[in-house]
Amino acid sequence: MPGGAPMSTIRASAPSALRLRGPSTAVLTLSSLIGVIAFGWPFVIDPDVGLGHERDAPLLFAVTLLMVVVVLMAEIVRGGIDAKALAMLGVLAALGASLRPLGGGVTGFQPMFLVIILGGRALGPGFGFVLGLLTMLGSAVVTGGVGPWLPFQMLGAAWMGLGAGLLPRASGRREVWLVAGYGALASVAYGFLLNLWFWPFTTGLDSELSFVAGDPVVANLRRLIAFSLLTSLGFDLVRAAGTLALTLMAGGLVLRALRRASRRAAFGAVADFGETSGWPPLASPEGRPASASTSGSGERPGAAGGDVGSA
Amino acid sequence: MISFRAVSVTYPDAAAPALVAVDLEIVEGELALVVGSTGSGKSTLLRCVNGLVPHFTGGRLDGHVTVAGRDTRTHRPRDLADVVGYVDQDPSAGFVTDVVEDELAYAMESLGLAPSLMRRRVEETLDLLGLADIRYRPLRTLSAGQKQRVAIGSVLTAHPSVLVMDEPTSALDPQAAEEVLAAVQRLVHDLGMTVLMSEHRLERAVQYADRVLVVDGSTVIDHQPAQAMAHSPVIPPVVALGRLAGWDPLPLTVRDARRDAEPLRRRLAGGTALPPAGNGGSPAVRPAVVSAREVTVRHPEVVALRRASLSVAPGEVVALMGRNGAGKTTMLRVLAGVDRPESGRVRMGTRDPAGLRGGERVRAVGLVPQNPRDLLWTESVAQECRDADRDAETSAGTSAGLLARLQPELDVDLHPGDLSEGQRLAVALAVVLAGDPAVLLLDEPTRGLDYATKRRLVSLLRDRAASGTAVVLATHDVELAAEVATRVVILAEGEVVADGPARESVMASPVFAPQVAKVLAPLPFLTVEEVSACLAGLP
Amino acid sequence: MAEARLRQPLPRLLHPGAWWLWASSLAVAASRTTNPWLLLALLGVVGIVVAERRVPGPWSRAFLVFVQVGMVVVGIRMVLAAVLAGPGAGPVLLTLPSIALPDWLAGVRVGGPVTADTVLEACYEGLRLAVILGCIGAANALVLPSRLLRVVPAALYEIGVAVVVILTVLPMLVADLGRVREARLLRGRRSRPARAAAEMTLPVLNGALDRAVTLAAAMDSRGYGRTTGVSAGTRRLTTTLVLAGLVGVGVGLYGVLDGGTPDVAGLPVLGWPMVLLGCTLAVAATLLAGRRIGRTVYRPDRWRAAEWAVLGSGLACLSAILVSAALGVDLEGPTSPPTWPTLPLVPALGVLLGLLALPASPPVPLAAGPRQLPSARPREPAR
Repeated sequence: MPGGAPMSTIRASAPSALRLRGPSTAVLTLSSLIGVIAFGWPFVIDPDVGLGHERDAPLLFAVTLLMVVVVLMAEIVRGGIDAKALAMLGVLAALGASLRPLGGGVTGFQPMFLVIILGGRALGPGFGFVLGLLTMLGSAVVTGGVGPWLPFQMLGAAWMGLGAGLLPRASGRREVWLVAGYGALASVAYGFLLNLWFWPFTTGLDSELSFVAGDPVVANLRRLIAFSLLTSLGFDLVRAAGTLALTLMAGGLVLRALRRASRRAAFGAVADFGETSGWPPLASPEGRPASASTSGSGERPGAAGGDVGSA
Repeated sequence: MISFRAVSVTYPDAAAPALVAVDLEIVEGELALVVGSTGSGKSTLLRCVNGLVPHFTGGRLDGHVTVAGRDTRTHRPRDLADVVGYVDQDPSAGFVTDVVEDELAYAMESLGLAPSLMRRRVEETLDLLGLADIRYRPLRTLSAGQKQRVAIGSVLTAHPSVLVMDEPTSALDPQAAEEVLAAVQRLVHDLGMTVLMSEHRLERAVQYADRVLVVDGSTVIDHQPAQAMAHSPVIPPVVALGRLAGWDPLPLTVRDARRDAEPLRRRLAGGTALPPAGNGGSPAVRPAVVSAREVTVRHPEVVALRRASLSVAPGEVVALMGRNGAGKTTMLRVLAGVDRPESGRVRMGTRDPAGLRGGERVRAVGLVPQNPRDLLWTESVAQECRDADRDAETSAGTSAGLLARLQPELDVDLHPGDLSEGQRLAVALAVVLAGDPAVLLLDEPTRGLDYATKRRLVSLLRDRAASGTAVVLATHDVELAAEVATRVVILAEGEVVADGPARESVMASPVFAPQVAKVLAPLPFLTVEEVSACLAGLP
Repeated sequence: MAEARLRQPLPRLLHPGAWWLWASSLAVAASRTTNPWLLLALLGVVGIVVAERRVPGPWSRAFLVFVQVGMVVVGIRMVLAAVLAGPGAGPVLLTLPSIALPDWLAGVRVGGPVTADTVLEACYEGLRLAVILGCIGAANALVLPSRLLRVVPAALYEIGVAVVVILTVLPMLVADLGRVREARLLRGRRSRPARAAAEMTLPVLNGALDRAVTLAAAMDSRGYGRTTGVSAGTRRLTTTLVLAGLVGVGVGLYGVLDGGTPDVAGLPVLGWPMVLLGCTLAVAATLLAGRRIGRTVYRPDRWRAAEWAVLGSGLACLSAILVSAALGVDLEGPTSPPTWPTLPLVPALGVLLGLLALPASPPVPLAAGPRQLPSARPREPAR
């Protein structure tokens, strides 16, 4: 990049790095609905079906969601992603993936979420969605191992990035507070969702803790909360507090860095072609019209050697 | 082959155009060299050729740029990928895959070539660039020279007609730079490619060039090499010597200069004012301010330093030289206390530099790493200076003052990431020198610097040495060592191979001799200043 | 003698899909049973194949790591069951002090008598999960993740590129962080750990973002995005089909959750078959339309006889288990009354079929063979 390009005032919102077209949004919405069902089926499953399918249901939902996530990803990239958006996605996802070992456990990683949320905030909801998908995918490939939990984690992280991009406009300190609050809520929600995913695998425990098909939602919800409390909710709350603190501290700086980078990357750069000053474009590579070039002589390179050789 | 017609480029949000009314014509099969001071628009010119400006960067392009008959107005960079190969300054940032062979094949995959054809071309390119024995290696394990060759290979497999390179040898030591330039020569002479490259180290490349494009401000002037050198603000030492001695036409290589140099040698030999002995006073007399004794440093797979010893006295300027991997950087890190040696002792006075913390450390030793960017992490240059003053516990404004001396026209509100290489080095130096350390360590300071900034650096180092700082430079740049060093230490395979006064060491070795020394051998002149001082002293 | 030498298969790496499908088949087979002998037999089969065919490199111990995680899962389940589950039928093993949690927490009773059948059931369920995890770990050990990216379908090409970028940038970020840490030391910066962490990540972030822009320029210059191939019309058609498929999935899921085959406005809404249909439609539309006209693959992995054989052995194992289940063979571990489990013969033979993948697949190339993953330690240049 050219050195010393003057820095204009950084706008509070930069152009979106990855714009989702109408049809893609429809696919995204449908997929998200299916995702909600894939997460929340214990609450709505019919008791007759539930008893017979208790074991198969988690596996079948996992496979279904895997297919849906694959189809969704293909839809988002259909028509191609700009190289800049792709490179930025890859690099930020790598950053997030490298921070995953700093979190702990299966639910709720704080630093990784920070990258996803801030990326979604700075670069748009579409970008945030794909960033969530890729960060989870990348970190699974690098560290966590690929498994049936992956589509669920990917979707959860993607929702997190999407939500961050959809937050209302704000700037300065208020923005940092807004994003920090969202981050805390989102990490608790993510932990909750992952507990929800794990919940059906714990059938066989006391019926007070595992779900009972057909019961009213509130009753099942109480059981889920009890299960969460006993397993990880405490940790989740601590992690949420940590996310809040981290965002408050570093969020402003990171957002500025991301926006500066997106400005330098010139997403959606408009190439403006000015006047041609009357010169016709060159028709063929061989033609060399008399140019106004200030080279003193149109000598061939061979002659230059002759010049130097003579004393 | 490449044609610019009345091209002006203005970046978005920029106050002034980067290029104005450029008219150029580069014929097929030529090697054109683009020179100019940092930030002068060389990169912009190169990026216009393959369409990155304005399609990728945004902005406004007036006029036409045409390559192999294709106008960049209607062709985006991806459409030009089969005629133009573009290699950026930092090859490792441009790698898309993780293995050498895959990297070579990537461009062809995007072009949709048949697998058998791809295989053939990959094999050819491996042979052409000497990469066959590293074909399966992961890219991050390669040396800088190998990475540069892989980057060139990765665009060559598409068989472009034009090759555009942005400072291909700036990160390389002389040996690797020779290999890369030789490969480029092969491409131009055997394959008839058209090559357009920008370069700071003119002394390496100007002899290969068929034409030189001097970028001055926002204008581009197109010359034959000899003419360009007559007027250019950036010149290699051989050309400076030629200008001084009034040779016409100006020599571009040491060989050309030696033919002209006989009369000059006779004149100088007759004079009595040989170069001052101050450039190489015996250092053994004064007590060392920092010393490393028999240190051994072992990295996971390689022994970086093997019972090496070095001691530096105040006021000395020591140049550490040697090929890549010889241990220069490790020696600097050991002296700075960043790496602890496995055995041996490092002492600064009575203390071990590794144990120093905070303000003490900054006042004792300052190290400017290879990538000055690593030292800067705040939002603006002014903030960096303030932080440096606070860390060094000195009065406010110290480092800002130093910076103003080094780089006078720098806008201190700029973000460090937006600076050019030279500017970043200046900021890093100002930050490090805020504490007025007794020992100043510099790792490859002149990489990517143009001659003007280099001159300012040299004068700064001379001042520091005169005021009693011990300076140690790890460098490949023999010209820099010739100008500023009082002592030269040569490392190889982790051991100190030679350690002596600069003048003798540098003159004794053909690899490390600067151009002036090679031209005027056997007379002991190292720099053009010395020659001009001697000539001035003659009757 | 010479003939015998000729018959030995040439070492090469299989198509990634072959091993993943084989491992997935065995994982699905494991999910159908809780008989501990069968499960352990499956684990053993998988372990033997992994030991012989794993790829050297950072992932070669993935199998063991996953098995260890599985053991931890079994342990946790048994403890949770002992502590939280209500009393079942069967002999009591021991009695823990019991605490009743307050009513707003759903009145759970913690502790109490621990019965053998609950513990055994938890053990068998846990073992099943552990074996599934082991199969996944085996897949990770047999196939390098970066190779998996090469066989990504054309529709997901950009995602594959993004993951490759992640894999290449990650070590660079880690190296950058190390350099920044040292730079802080050099500048004499001392600050509280929290602030230090923030100050260290910023330069790494900035470096990473600049690297992204350079990478994007390099990709563009080398022709990335040159061939998207599909016309707008095809794209619209594909999206419509995908939407239709997803609607089908949604409807099918509604049917699943509602149980049986309820009617919606008189039309029977099928459950899982409808979901399957919808998925197939969406995936097929995606894959077929995603073909990139004009993009080729360098040295593509081919699907040859060995791949078919490996796939076949996995499917044979799975079908043996499924068929035995359909034939009424009891695949459950006995919990009430807790008796010593027996090994049913037909499923056991089926599990052994999975072992056929070993002779069917060629040995792994040891040294500088093609597609070797970084086993060389990174050497810092210019030191």
